[in-house]
Amino acid sequence: MKLEEVRVCVMRVGGTNCDIETARAFKELGIQAEIRHLNELVKNRNLLDYHVLVFPGGFSYGDYVRAGVIFARRLYAKLGRELKTFVENNRPILGICNGFQVLVEEGLLPGFELFSAYPEASLAANIPQGYNCRWIYLKHESKGNCIFTRRIPQGKVLYVPVAHSEGRFLFPKEKEEQFLERLYEEDMLVFRYCDKFGNYAEGQYPTNPNGSFHDIAGICNSQGTIFGLMPHPERALYWWQQPDWTRRSSKVQYADGKLFFDGLLDYLLKKF
Amino acid sequence: MKYCVKIEVSLKPGHTDPEGNTTQRLLKELGYNVDSVSVSKIYNVQIESQNSREAKIKAEEMAKRLLANPTKDNYTIKVEEQK
Amino acid sequence: MSLSHLFIRVNTNFNIHEIDTQNATDEQLQQLSNELGLGLNLQEMKQIQAYFKTQKRNPTDVELQILGQTWSEHCCHKTFKGKIKMGDKEINSLFKTYIAKATKELNPKWCLSVFEDNAGIISFDKDYAIAAKVETHNHPSAVEPFGGAATGVGGVIRDILGVWADPIACTNVLGFGPLDYDYTKLPSGVKHPKYVYMGVTAGIGAYGNNMGIPTVNGAIYFDESYTGNVVVYCGCIGLLPLKKFKKEAKPDHIIVVAGGKTGRDGIHGVTFASAELTEKSEEVSRPAVQIADPIEEEKVKRALIEIRDRELASAITDLGGGGMSSAVGETAERYGCGATVDLDKVPLKYSGLAPWEIYLSESQERMLITVPPENLEDVLDIFKKEDVEATAVGKLTKDRRLRLRFFDVTVAELDMELLFSSTTSTKTASWIAPEIAEPTFSVPKDLTGTLLQLLSTPNIASKESVIRTYDHEVKGNTALKPLHGEYAGPNDAAVIKPVDNCWKGIVISCGMNPAYGKIDPYWMAASAIDEAIRNNLAVGGRRIALLDNFVWGNPEKPERLGSLVKACEACYDFATAFKTPFISGKDSLYNESPLGPVTPTLLITAIGVVPDIRSVVSMDLKAPNNLIYLVGNTYPELGGSEYYKLHGYIGKSVPQVRKAEAKKNFKVITQAIDAGLIKACHDLSEGGLAVAVAEMALAGGYGAELNLKKVVGAGLKRDDFVLFSESNSRFLVEVSEQDRQAFEVLTKWKGCSLIGKVSRNPKLVINGLSGSVVVEASLEKLRESWKQTLSGGV
Repeated sequence: MKLEEVRVCVMRVGGTNCDIETARAFKELGIQAEIRHLNELVKNRNLLDYHVLVFPGGFSYGDYVRAGVIFARRLYAKLGRELKTFVENNRPILGICNGFQVLVEEGLLPGFELFSAYPEASLAANIPQGYNCRWIYLKHESKGNCIFTRRIPQGKVLYVPVAHSEGRFLFPKEKEEQFLERLYEEDMLVFRYCDKFGNYAEGQYPTNPNGSFHDIAGICNSQGTIFGLMPHPERALYWWQQPDWTRRSSKVQYADGKLFFDGLLDYLLKKF
Repeated sequence: MKYCVKIEVSLKPGHTDPEGNTTQRLLKELGYNVDSVSVSKIYNVQIESQNSREAKIKAEEMAKRLLANPTKDNYTIKVEEQK
Repeated sequence: MSLSHLFIRVNTNFNIHEIDTQNATDEQLQQLSNELGLGLNLQEMKQIQAYFKTQKRNPTDVELQILGQTWSEHCCHKTFKGKIKMGDKEINSLFKTYIAKATKELNPKWCLSVFEDNAGIISFDKDYAIAAKVETHNHPSAVEPFGGAATGVGGVIRDILGVWADPIACTNVLGFGPLDYDYTKLPSGVKHPKYVYMGVTAGIGAYGNNMGIPTVNGAIYFDESYTGNVVVYCGCIGLLPLKKFKKEAKPDHIIVVAGGKTGRDGIHGVTFASAELTEKSEEVSRPAVQIADPIEEEKVKRALIEIRDRELASAITDLGGGGMSSAVGETAERYGCGATVDLDKVPLKYSGLAPWEIYLSESQERMLITVPPENLEDVLDIFKKEDVEATAVGKLTKDRRLRLRFFDVTVAELDMELLFSSTTSTKTASWIAPEIAEPTFSVPKDLTGTLLQLLSTPNIASKESVIRTYDHEVKGNTALKPLHGEYAGPNDAAVIKPVDNCWKGIVISCGMNPAYGKIDPYWMAASAIDEAIRNNLAVGGRRIALLDNFVWGNPEKPERLGSLVKACEACYDFATAFKTPFISGKDSLYNESPLGPVTPTLLITAIGVVPDIRSVVSMDLKAPNNLIYLVGNTYPELGGSEYYKLHGYIGKSVPQVRKAEAKKNFKVITQAIDAGLIKACHDLSEGGLAVAVAEMALAGGYGAELNLKKVVGAGLKRDDFVLFSESNSRFLVEVSEQDRQAFEVLTKWKGCSLIGKVSRNPKLVINGLSGSVVVEASLEKLRESWKQTLSGGV
């Protein structure tokens, strides 16, 4: 299949608000991304016409009840069967920020059982409390399982922004160690918060901006096809989006965020 | 029968409650000697049901499917007949 | 005396009354106005009485409420558009005489629509225009800080939507009382500044973040007078495709109301905003408080943008102050039509609303559009897809009459002429310069300590803890952010790159100097204009348009009005001098509380463009050994300065603006940026030279060495005055050694001098007029002082 035949669906509902810049990131890859309202997909019943599904950032349904949960439940109620097929076909799904929250609430991440009936993790209120918009460093942990980040060397440090108030990744207290072990065993841990030299934050604010367990910023499922993260790579696509670009002498075309999407190309070309 | 179901969702013990902690700090600043504050949400649900048992079972489902995330939340349910 | 005999219940199955104005005495007319919350004076009530006499009938409560709303200060700006007598001078409309006149005289081609639509519109490039609007939401924020501020943001975003523009950035400038205000001194009904501060900043963040519009520029200012009168300015910038700017409503076009449902929210918000806050405000004004629903507005926005792009509607406006009354009336007026509305069709939150309540309700997140009948179905479908309720509630008509019906009963029928014919009153103004002496004190021994103290004064201290709670980069188009780089330096302006495949940027900045107004409102306004412009120029902005937002006390009091006149004079003088037209503005008067009037506050917002964002300059020092120039003369102008305030004085020597010098400085900054000669640039404002260089150093991570002897100007005899003077029109500029010659060719006049250089040593060292070191501080110490005051917010 040719690249221009790939169809990416950037799904939105009321309150989604990072869809345009997320679609723009795919366009930079040479892939046409379509922004579709859940209502349109329900009406046309055409979710399976798409090869990639993306849940962008925002405040879907006002983040009421818990961030992402209403989107997740509504999607499941309306398009549960299609979504299941999508997942079983190993078609890539990406969730950024609110999208990550949706994937966790949907039971797709960590997705120890591929599609869990109840969430196995949560993205809880930040510590320190409140909304926080800042650039942070991430260390790439994946050994190659995550199809989105395959072009990024393990251990590489990347510079991207976060902007959220509910991003503290948590496992159930009693299963914390056991679940963490599984993340490592099945190569599901993709990004951890670190400083600019690559030292893990060890929970220190603001290097770890939200108090996430084990400095976790992003994970994928064990198939490597579903990937969610709190930071916003789509806001770190171009060099001029960086907060310190006026200090940089070399102005390369892209900033680190582009790397988060690149790996997808190889997978798509091979799979479809 | 109409029932009024109160579903209270709160954090499981041992979980940090940033909103509660911030509120506690502020209350202390205002001169109250507050030991701790925790925040929970109460959903008041009006529901038509055969009996209070069935109402409670439905409320449990609601809590599990939507209102609480078992990773971090507890919930309690109170059922009252609506007059 | 009871008025009940004047109320005649109409025989319908809903709640409506006729009011027997014909048989009312003058005293009763005034009582009626008060009782119904109309906010009209006797002269206006008599005008209404006369009108209905000619109609040979009594007005309904709906009609009286409509007139009260349309003629309110908030909606028709009686003060700005009325007559003012000041000494032997008579001013016929402050607005026409000063603000609009400046724009009219400059008459630039790039101003596409000024003072006419919901927002000012200027061109961006050949395909797009920029829409800009700034509003105040002071009174609602004083009563309920979170909701008041959030709905303020929501309202100004709807102003932008109201010209078919896509909102792309928000700004906010806030004024609070001192955060350490003594609780025991607070009069009842006044909330503590800290509570207000936390609520307001949270409300602003919540709305912008939820809607996905970056909050990119703003300021927070602390003043004693803001304790009782919180100041909340909310601004929004939008982008609209020129081709889609539709203004072509005609008779028979359908009036559609879309968005939130209508309830009793905010009824009489308009008359509320035009009345002084009293102890009872909290109690009586609760209905004026709104719950914000940004997600609803986000959905409405999506639908409107699609309707715009498919060109399905003929006119648009927001439902803000005055609700449907204001929106329907103004739309019909603008297109020379009348209108008929069936109030029973308006979707309600709950039943039991009287017709006048429906018509005046200020429920949030609602917009009004007019749609040619053939497009109605498509329009309603689009709203439906976005889960937005939209309803056809009436239509425009050929005759110039406003007709309202409720279940087929006509409840109001008024001539459009009457609605827009409110009488103009004449107010008296006077201004006498306050008697303030210039303080005398000797130069403090420890100027390093003074600098550190200044850096931690609330007005200068880092606002990072607040700014980080605002999403300033959603949409991914913020090319220069409010916080720069690793150390979160305070950039002078924000730059948005709104169009893909185009390097052109929009530059957003602001200026505000309320402290100067305590000495002279003329120079206060001049300084605010100068500051907004130089902030814009400092990053590379040009072709600047201004927005004016006045927050003043009760204009019925001559001295308050007098200071307003002086500020307006300066607006005209400096807008014309700098060729920066006003494109939009708003006034909020009657800001008075039990603690006294608000310090007269003029916010100037500047919207510039930059041809290529790649040439944008930030304020952080870039490399050791680069040269530091001070562009602009320094004078011993410390009246109203942060330095005097630190010593407990106001002073008299308020900074002035010297037009010729300022223009020279402005020009050279733009030329040097275009020639790529400037590595960093920072404007000098609160705290003067010392604070500016400290901020540049702590943001860049490099030290600096300055020599005060090299500073040019006049009357510079004291180290502290040179360090902390707040003379206007000045910039600190970093230039590399290799560009030295090119830069000096541009700056060959006396008002620019090389005063130091960047050093690798992470330390700020300043040599005084006598040659000895007067300031020496490590960057770490500077950073700590600057960041500690407001860090963590709580």
